[in-house]
Amino acid sequence: MAQIFPKWTNKAPLYVLLGAILTLVIIVGLVWYYASPWYTDVGYRPVQPVPYSHKLHAGDLGLDCRFCHTGVETSPVAGIPPTQTCMNCHNMIKTDSDKLAPIRDSYKNETHLRWIRVHKLPDYVYFDHSAHITAGVGCATCHGNIASMEVVAQNQPLSMGWCLTCHRDPSNFLRPPSEITNMTWTAPADQAEFAANQIERLKIKPPVTDCTGCHR
Amino acid sequence: MSTTNNHLQGKAYWRSLEQLAETDEFKDLVKQEFPADAAELTNPVSRRKFLTLMGASMALAGLTSCRRPVEKIIPYVIKPEEITPGKPQYYATNMPFGTESCGLLVESHEGRPTKIEGNRLHPATQGSSNVYMQAEMLNLYDPDRSQVVLRKGRNASWQAYRAAWKKQAKRFTESGGEGLAVLTESFSSPSLMRLAQAFRTKFPQARLVAYDSVSDATIYAGLQAATGALARPDYAFDKARVVLSLDADFLQMDSNDIQYSRDFTSQRKVHTEQDEMNRLYVVEGVFSVTGGMADHRLRIQSGQIGMFAAALAAELGAQGLEIQAPAVSAEIDTGWLKALAADLLANRGASLVVGGRRQRAEVHTLIALINDALGNTGKTVSYSSNPDRMVSNLTAFTELTRDMQAGRITALVLLGGNPVYQAPADLDFAAALEQVPYSVHLSSHVDETSTKTTWHIPRAHFLESWGDVSGYGGAGIIQPLIAPLFDGKNCVDVLSDLISDEATWAYAVVRETWKSLLPAAHFEKNWRQVVHDGFTSLPRETQLSFDHQQAQAAVLAANYYVPAATPESMELVLSASFATYDGRYANNGWMQELPHPITKLTWDNVALMSPATAQQLQVKNESVIKINRAGTELIVPVWVLPGLADNTLNLELGYGRNIGRVATGAGIHVGGLRTLKQMDIASGVTVVKAAGSYKLACVQDYHGLDEEQLAAHAIEERLPSIVRESTLENYRKDPEFAMALAETTDPQSMSMWKEQQYTTGNQWGMAIDLSACTGCSACTIACQSENNIPVIGKDEVSRGRDMSWIRLDRYFSGEVDDPEMIFQPVACQQCEMAPCENVCPVAATTHSSEGLNEMAYNRCIGTRYCANNCPYKVRRFNFFNFSKDMPEIVQMAMNPDVTIRFRGVMEKCTYCIQRINVAKIGAKNEGRDLADGDVVVACQQACPTNAIAFGNILDPESEVSRIKSRNRDYALLGELNLQPRTTYTARLRNPNPAIAAPGEHYV
Repeated sequence: MAQIFPKWTNKAPLYVLLGAILTLVIIVGLVWYYASPWYTDVGYRPVQPVPYSHKLHAGDLGLDCRFCHTGVETSPVAGIPPTQTCMNCHNMIKTDSDKLAPIRDSYKNETHLRWIRVHKLPDYVYFDHSAHITAGVGCATCHGNIASMEVVAQNQPLSMGWCLTCHRDPSNFLRPPSEITNMTWTAPADQAEFAANQIERLKIKPPVTDCTGCHR
Repeated sequence: MSTTNNHLQGKAYWRSLEQLAETDEFKDLVKQEFPADAAELTNPVSRRKFLTLMGASMALAGLTSCRRPVEKIIPYVIKPEEITPGKPQYYATNMPFGTESCGLLVESHEGRPTKIEGNRLHPATQGSSNVYMQAEMLNLYDPDRSQVVLRKGRNASWQAYRAAWKKQAKRFTESGGEGLAVLTESFSSPSLMRLAQAFRTKFPQARLVAYDSVSDATIYAGLQAATGALARPDYAFDKARVVLSLDADFLQMDSNDIQYSRDFTSQRKVHTEQDEMNRLYVVEGVFSVTGGMADHRLRIQSGQIGMFAAALAAELGAQGLEIQAPAVSAEIDTGWLKALAADLLANRGASLVVGGRRQRAEVHTLIALINDALGNTGKTVSYSSNPDRMVSNLTAFTELTRDMQAGRITALVLLGGNPVYQAPADLDFAAALEQVPYSVHLSSHVDETSTKTTWHIPRAHFLESWGDVSGYGGAGIIQPLIAPLFDGKNCVDVLSDLISDEATWAYAVVRETWKSLLPAAHFEKNWRQVVHDGFTSLPRETQLSFDHQQAQAAVLAANYYVPAATPESMELVLSASFATYDGRYANNGWMQELPHPITKLTWDNVALMSPATAQQLQVKNESVIKINRAGTELIVPVWVLPGLADNTLNLELGYGRNIGRVATGAGIHVGGLRTLKQMDIASGVTVVKAAGSYKLACVQDYHGLDEEQLAAHAIEERLPSIVRESTLENYRKDPEFAMALAETTDPQSMSMWKEQQYTTGNQWGMAIDLSACTGCSACTIACQSENNIPVIGKDEVSRGRDMSWIRLDRYFSGEVDDPEMIFQPVACQQCEMAPCENVCPVAATTHSSEGLNEMAYNRCIGTRYCANNCPYKVRRFNFFNFSKDMPEIVQMAMNPDVTIRFRGVMEKCTYCIQRINVAKIGAKNEGRDLADGDVVVACQQACPTNAIAFGNILDPESEVSRIKSRNRDYALLGELNLQPRTTYTARLRNPNPAIAAPGEHYV
């Protein structure tokens, strides 16, 4: 009687085993990577319902960030401007632009615009914009140079490890209150001295190992 | 432990009769940290009764394979000027509660009310709150509220109702209102009273009656005999040196409890041994939290209270007071009575006798007479009438019902209330209602009454509607925080619609009323000020003079004799429920799950009885008895409560309502035992043991502090050091008694390594004054509301999985039949050397630089090692995703500043870290340092007696430091050297040296 299984099948279980181990390692590796600080959303750039250009408004025209994001100095959230804010100008300017049709519709029909969130923190993180502005952390430090972006993209990892680099030593990231919204500010030569001064003057003591500073 | 405690002496404490008796069930129970079956994990959902909570799971919708969930940001089209997204707003309003009202300050997030606090500008609440105020938050978001106008059970509309009423109105306008009746709940409101008068003018023959099943009607009626008007007694507990409570629960269930709690305990906060303290005598048949605060408590049957008052009057007369006592003799401990009378006489003008609302009117006349004879009128008690007040009137209600039965009422409008459920059984209101061809019921739920009326109108919550209140110290506006969620109407809407041909708006009605109340000049400015403040000290109340002669005559004409109850003919006390009140909180998960302060039962009402009565009936906890009262039979579960009078049963009203997903199945409706003649205290009740048993969810023996010491003697040795108390006299002799009760060691000498030093910045700490803690539970509910603590259902509670972060421990001491009671609120003690932190394998619980023991929920993997290692047993575990099935509407009650916890996560008190952070960031933004009082934690804010102090313990000027500097300040389980940040001020009692307390020995 002939052999049912050829000889090479003797090694089949070994190959299967190796294959299984390899697959497992790859899966674990992928999950590991996905859960690690190396995997971030930097570059996330969704298409928004209105082709609003920060480059035009904040860059070329030079609108201050706080013109629209009014809550940033007093509230945990900076706030997305109501349609009314757009219409303050656009009832006079570019009143027939196709790109502005959703804005006009929203204002006329009292329907809400639905922007897509770009900078997203997990629900268990309680970030407070006002505290960071008070301490002298500029908008661009976390959001990048928004004024150069036609479509807003995520510029920094927004991961916990990234937060902690600044919380552990904020001195490289502090700037004078007058420069908060400056998108192109660069640290001067005496930054260390300035930062030390500001840290003392404003009693800046960001939570480092106090979990409840951000998680509550 | 036993070695260190052998030489220490203290009172013997016990938590429950099971513990005292050391039953097998008790031993089994305490052996486990979380008494629970592992088996039910296989099918958890089917076993749970589910109500609640939130889970913002919507963010996960649509996430299949994309990088991450797409989240939308939806801005306003036109932003309201006053709203800054992310910043809460606070509005003042008022909560009507019978003829009383509570001033509120309500927190609102982007137009969504989330938390109720007391209004600091309100004279009664002064920033504090009680359980009912807190629980209204969940009542607002009750998903089972009725949502549509119904006509004979079918969907209709407000317009259809108005059209139907217009036809009726035409008829009644012609007949002057003959056959028309309006039945309301009692109220005290300028607008409603103005509308009521307009109604009477328009329909002079119509009837307007108020009825409440729980009210102060007997007190008002009793005082009418002496003051000539329906008078409300205003007590000044802060001026009373000696207080006698005759069946009154002025610290919890009776009217104006917040103010009275604060005033009463203000005289019990002993800072040093030089301070004085008031003295409280309580005479009662049931056990109330007021009884727990007593320096001397005498238990006599509730029906005998009138006779006790008579005996007291006689004794006072015998000791020289000008008072003529009614002639009855009661068997009362004469030594006790003599000492009490002498104490009252020695404090003329600074004493106070208060009576409970269950007592008959003539008892209140007698109590007022005693107060007057003692010279208290105008000093510790005064009487006032209020033109805006409509008091519950049982006689008028009875007449109305009889007329309905006889067919003389052709249209009946019910403004709130639920008489089918609440009326005395022998009145048979339901049958009478069937004789009325046109009936309208305004109510929050389609309830027992709504199903029997022609029309049902959904009732708007007071946080959704305009109205006003008037009462102690002035009048206030009810302003809405949110548009009606279910298109409801309130009493002002419906009543004004009855008398007006045009469509009305409650706002306009209220404004119109206030035009006559506020000075005409600058009305708009004044109106805005009142709406802003919520309250104004408008004098609506008139002080009444007390006619001693008339009261004396009324007392002598009345009969005070009530035969004592016997085992064959027992007494039945029907009281308002702590949890559901008169049933209005029956569908409120927070209230149903809030342990009763004394029995520690949840989700049920039971027949309470003394151990002697239980023995005689041969029943024990969870047995079932059959109560027979004048032919009406009811089967109820039993709970044995020490301290009740013998041959007395105590049942709570307000249960057994099938109106929603929470209320259904909780407890038993006992209103059928009420009769017109004996509403609250019934005599001649026969009781027999019935077959079977009934499972109750009692949290008493869970999370005990003494799990590892099963032997009763070990617990006995330990408890005096856990809950420490003494008498004022002994305290003066031995000011350091609190520390002497346990040995503590120097922390540094005990440590194996150099401990972290907490010497800079804000170091948070809490001090709780046990002398001021009444056990009212306001802190527990405030914490639940602030911190998004889930409701888990009776079955889960009975497995010992209750989630409250604040456990209000209740200990008995002394005689089994007649114990003393003491409360101790225990939340996370925020130990500096926290044992929970050492055992966490993932560092989910760590220590902050400000001395807080933190929980990072997202790190927690649910090993529960921390809970096992916590000697205070304050950690709570989410066995299931309790928030998952929460209806969307209930999600609106959640605090957006606190994480919703998921299944498998440990949680516990955080010292309201969200409030600390908000205060810190706010101070930073304003460029200043945190000041004492900037951080007010939820329990501290709610506490009506200010028993809780919180702040920076490094600041010697802070309130918490001041209280911690008391020589009675002690750490719970201080001998474990955990350096807890929460400490307690040992309780003091102030017994009368002339009365020997039974069988107790203080240190």
